[in-house]
Amino acid sequence: MLSEIYIANKTENKKNKRQLIHRATFDILPLALAVIPWGILCGSLAIKVGLSPIQAQLMSLFVFAGAAQLASLTIIGAAGALSSIFSSTFVISSRHLLYSAVFREHVRQSSFSIRCSTAFFLTDEMFAVTCAYLEKNKSYSHLYAISAGIVFYLVWNVATFIGIYAGQLIPNIEELGLEFAIAATFIAIVIPAIKNTSTLMSVLASAISVLVLSINGSEHALIIATIIGMATGYFTASIGEQDE
Amino acid sequence: MNNYWLTLIGMACITFTCRYLFFAKKLPFELGIRTKRALRYTAPSVLTAMWVPIVFLSYQNIDVPFFHSPFLIAGLFAVALSIKLKSTLLVVIISIALFAILQLI
Repeated sequence: MLSEIYIANKTENKKNKRQLIHRATFDILPLALAVIPWGILCGSLAIKVGLSPIQAQLMSLFVFAGAAQLASLTIIGAAGALSSIFSSTFVISSRHLLYSAVFREHVRQSSFSIRCSTAFFLTDEMFAVTCAYLEKNKSYSHLYAISAGIVFYLVWNVATFIGIYAGQLIPNIEELGLEFAIAATFIAIVIPAIKNTSTLMSVLASAISVLVLSINGSEHALIIATIIGMATGYFTASIGEQDE
Repeated sequence: MNNYWLTLIGMACITFTCRYLFFAKKLPFELGIRTKRALRYTAPSVLTAMWVPIVFLSYQNIDVPFFHSPFLIAGLFAVALSIKLKSTLLVVIISIALFAILQLI
């Protein structure tokens, strides 16, 4: 009797796990599809600035950070210094510091391999779907987070692979406006997430600051605008609480 | 070229460190309630700081007037659409389709 229950539980668990993987795949797939043009752009640009096809693919396999890859390829193309490649990578990737801080309480006590894989597969998109999952189910799932991350990783690398080949076949592929896909994705993530005044204010502040800073040629427009946006959201929320 | 390998390894280390840092068990500091509250605004702020320049400033790269830029028109359309539609995929597909059509015109 007991063993029957045990087996039933086990199959139930298996079913749940499979459902969770399906759920994660289904949730991240739209964002993964949208990243394809970006991956193609990264692959083709890497070839154009002089990386070998293997180096171009390894960049997506090991670095796995779209914005940082694009920025560094642009710097390599302009014959920039290694130090400016590394500093721009750090500035762009520093947002992941904040993502990992958000997941800290859920991940810190886990095994080394879970911590490493969660960190490796942590992207804007994985963060967005996992946060949505967390909010909906009130519980964090390693299986969900890592599955979503792996699906995204596979699509990103296949897209890079296509870009490496397409870049050699189609001249001026980087003038097709492939980066619009990433703008569309981020819009589709951000706008529905605006559910209160403080988030709205943080988005507006970040938008205005990034425009002002970029027009004035600031190198660190992204990170400064992010900090201004966060501060605005935080203080709007505190003022709202005082009013109540 | 050796420099490219160095670039790859360096970038991989930097991105992984940023993602892993707060998962480390032995971190000499904890996050307070205030920091956690501020962090709630990270994703909306950083993603906005990335999409806004593409939508509003790309016209400079393609040599068209501001109001005729496919990036601007399709981008604002995507904003309006994502207020109406819940599906991320639909918003992305429809706005990319519009962008492609505008590019061809």
